[in-house]
Amino acid sequence: MDRIDHLFNQYANTSSNLIDPEGIEELCSNLEVPHTDIRILMLAWKMKAEKQGYFTQEEWRRGLKALRADTLSKLKKALPELEKEVRRQSNFADFYAYAFRYCLTEEKQKSIDIETICQLLDIVMGSTFRAQVDYFVEYLKIQNDYKVINMDQWMGFYRFCNEISFPEMTEYNPELAWPLVLDSFVEWISEKQA
Amino acid sequence: MSNQKKRNFQIEAFKHRVVVDPKYADKTWQILERAIHQIYNQDASGLSFEELYRNAYNMVLHKFGDKLYTGFIATMTAHLKDKSKLIEAAQGGSFLEELNKKWNEHNKALEMIRDILMYMDRTYIESTKKPHVHPMGLSLWRDNVVHSPKIHSRLLNTLLDLVHKERTGEVIDRGLVRNVTKMFMDLGESVYQDDFEKPFLDASSEFYKVESQEFIESCDCGDYLKKAEKRLTEEIDRVGHYLDAKSEDKITSVVEKEMIANHMQRLVLMENSGLVTMLLNDKYEDLGRMYNLFRRVTNGLATVRDVMTSHLREMGKQLVTDPEKSKDPVEFVQRLLDERDKYDKITSTAFGNDKTFQNASNSSFEYFINLNARSPEFISLFVDDKLRKGLKGIADADVEVVLDKVMMLFRYLQEKDVFEKYYKQHLAKRLLSGKTVSDDAEKSLIVKLKTECGYQFTSKLEGMFTDMKTSEDTMRGFYGSHPELSEGPTLIVQVLTTGSWPTQPAVPCNLPAEVSVLCEKFRSYYLGTHTGRRLSWQTNMGTADIKAIFGKGQKHELNVSTFQMCVLMLFNNSDRLSYKEIEQATEIPAPDLKRCLQSLACVKGKNVIKKEPMSKDIGEEDLFCVNDKFTSKFYKVKIGTVVAQKETEPEKQETRQRVEEDRKPQIEAAIVRIMKSRKILDHNNIIAEVTKQLQPRFLANPTEIKKRIESLIERDFLERDNTDRKLYRYLA
Repeated sequence: MDRIDHLFNQYANTSSNLIDPEGIEELCSNLEVPHTDIRILMLAWKMKAEKQGYFTQEEWRRGLKALRADTLSKLKKALPELEKEVRRQSNFADFYAYAFRYCLTEEKQKSIDIETICQLLDIVMGSTFRAQVDYFVEYLKIQNDYKVINMDQWMGFYRFCNEISFPEMTEYNPELAWPLVLDSFVEWISEKQA
Repeated sequence: MSNQKKRNFQIEAFKHRVVVDPKYADKTWQILERAIHQIYNQDASGLSFEELYRNAYNMVLHKFGDKLYTGFIATMTAHLKDKSKLIEAAQGGSFLEELNKKWNEHNKALEMIRDILMYMDRTYIESTKKPHVHPMGLSLWRDNVVHSPKIHSRLLNTLLDLVHKERTGEVIDRGLVRNVTKMFMDLGESVYQDDFEKPFLDASSEFYKVESQEFIESCDCGDYLKKAEKRLTEEIDRVGHYLDAKSEDKITSVVEKEMIANHMQRLVLMENSGLVTMLLNDKYEDLGRMYNLFRRVTNGLATVRDVMTSHLREMGKQLVTDPEKSKDPVEFVQRLLDERDKYDKITSTAFGNDKTFQNASNSSFEYFINLNARSPEFISLFVDDKLRKGLKGIADADVEVVLDKVMMLFRYLQEKDVFEKYYKQHLAKRLLSGKTVSDDAEKSLIVKLKTECGYQFTSKLEGMFTDMKTSEDTMRGFYGSHPELSEGPTLIVQVLTTGSWPTQPAVPCNLPAEVSVLCEKFRSYYLGTHTGRRLSWQTNMGTADIKAIFGKGQKHELNVSTFQMCVLMLFNNSDRLSYKEIEQATEIPAPDLKRCLQSLACVKGKNVIKKEPMSKDIGEEDLFCVNDKFTSKFYKVKIGTVVAQKETEPEKQETRQRVEEDRKPQIEAAIVRIMKSRKILDHNNIIAEVTKQLQPRFLANPTEIKKRIESLIERDFLERDNTDRKLYRYLA
């Protein structure tokens, strides 16, 4: 535990006793991981970090203990394992939802603006569902109906990627309970293909 | 008999003690045989029934029943063979007559023989289970005469030939044929069917197949149907006269099949004479005939109904989407009512008020009325026109008839909430301008709407009437407590409860001094008795009657809008005014002011104001003065502009938008209601339930419902189920 705390103090802001965005940036460079990399998000998930850009001591302890890492090099070695763990089907949905919540910075905020969503999609789903993400991002950027995306729509996209073949989308039925934004998205693609 | 002696007395069957003479049987049979001959030769008068009966009886008694029976059969058979030859020999027309004659003779003889052989019938035949005398006699006739090769087919052909002759118009001897068919029936139903009926039906089928083909090539639909009907009647008549009654259904089926069922489509769709033509030209008799004939065949009425429905839908669609026809809303609706009346009359006169036809007609009307999105508005305008002037002088009962017809059209509307919006607007204008023909008619219609749609639909409308009444009372109170005001201008105020009346933004307007003083006095009076309320003058909805004296002394009373009054009163103090001056003085917004000035200066016959330049449009540099040369043959001149009209395109868009906005909370309320009671429900069912709940008001769009669901999810009223994404759950 001491070593974990010691590591914490190396990056923490002494006055607030939190690792702040600056500290995280330093951590990332030491881990040789870009700070927009998904693995940092995964780390935050493992810590169950609540506030984007900050790690509390408790969260830090929780995460590193779970990863059995008390030094920087152990932490670095634990990252691939962490990634495998997160990508397991049973965990990924939870991680995906977490990623959304993590971006809700204001109190009572329920939706995230389009631009942030596009970045988030790229980070979280880009490696597994490249095509769907690219198309969806393009759609979100050119459409005018939605200025923000809420949790329900966010989760809807995840189910979409997992259940609907792309780009055929033969199983998709707009009369079912898919969020409207996806109905419009599918319609837009069909028009493009026609 | 004494019962003391038991053994010795035995009651035995009476035994005839006469020794049987072997020749006895032969002798007795000979007697009988000869008698049979005589009977057949019509020479029975000399015979003694009693003697013959006893002979037959004796034979049976002496166990010679068998000989008697076989002898009877042999003798009769021989006779019938002879008779058969005689019949065969008959030429031409007399063939049937001969047959008939011999048949009658045979029946008579058979009866006599049976009587003579009755003992044998009842004892010997009973015990041996052989056919009885009478049936036997019929079978012998059948086998030896009817089924004799030379007679069998000739008989059938002769009969069929006669039928054919009659069908082609010749007169035949019906009685003769009847006797023959009756003969068949007497011989047994299967004989009738196999030897006559079935071939008869086949031949008839052929006949009508050919005839129907001829007719359909040469006749129009109405004539064809007349002919078919005639043939049917003939066949029924034929059966009644000389066929067995059971044949009626079978032969009518044949006619129905060949003449109607096989040509159904072609008849109904026949150009220039088929169903559509009949409908267009109100040919009740032809339509009735078609209905009565087609109902006899499977899918007959369905065929007629389908063609009628698609015609009605097509015609209706053209009617409502024709831009020419939508120019005048009142005419548009009148046209719909006329069509409705027409089809009502057709259904009742020609189709016997058949419910399936009424339904087909109703669903067609519902279909095409809703194709035009302005139907709700137009129906309201129609009602407005009627309540304004159309029903003037009409008896109460007739008024009800008109209103009921309007209600019928109303029921077809899918967007009843749109109608409500317009109706409210138009009613407001009617009430405020005092331009309704009959208060009773207005109330009557409200009651009908309430019955149809429930209390909520009409509660606001009723509120409007209440406001009018209350305002009358308020005015009385006002003038009662201010007797000094009876000298000046008379103010009539209607106090409208916001929420009951269509919302209008309050438009700024500077009232002339005399008027605004009065208004203030009213305001204080009212607020004195109703604390906590706020009044705002709706200057864009008021009217004024002002007396004017023009240059040459012409006196007129002008009925104008409030805005117009403000403008006109300015000329009490100035001879000429520029547009800008008028605008400044009245503070009326530009578009309203321009419209107002236009109605005062540019309308022929109502131009109480003169404008320079004399152009049609109002320009900001224009100058105005009173038109001293103004004339009108009426003392009272109406220049007001507060009549309900068909909306302009932008107004229509606005109303439509408001309707859409109003629908959103209604959809949400329905969703919440449903989810509160069901707790968990899948997507398709929610859509269906919501649509059903809202159907009395409008047709809910599934996409819109989905949007509302998502909005409710966002606001934490509902959530999606974690495992089954088709389900929604109610969050308490």
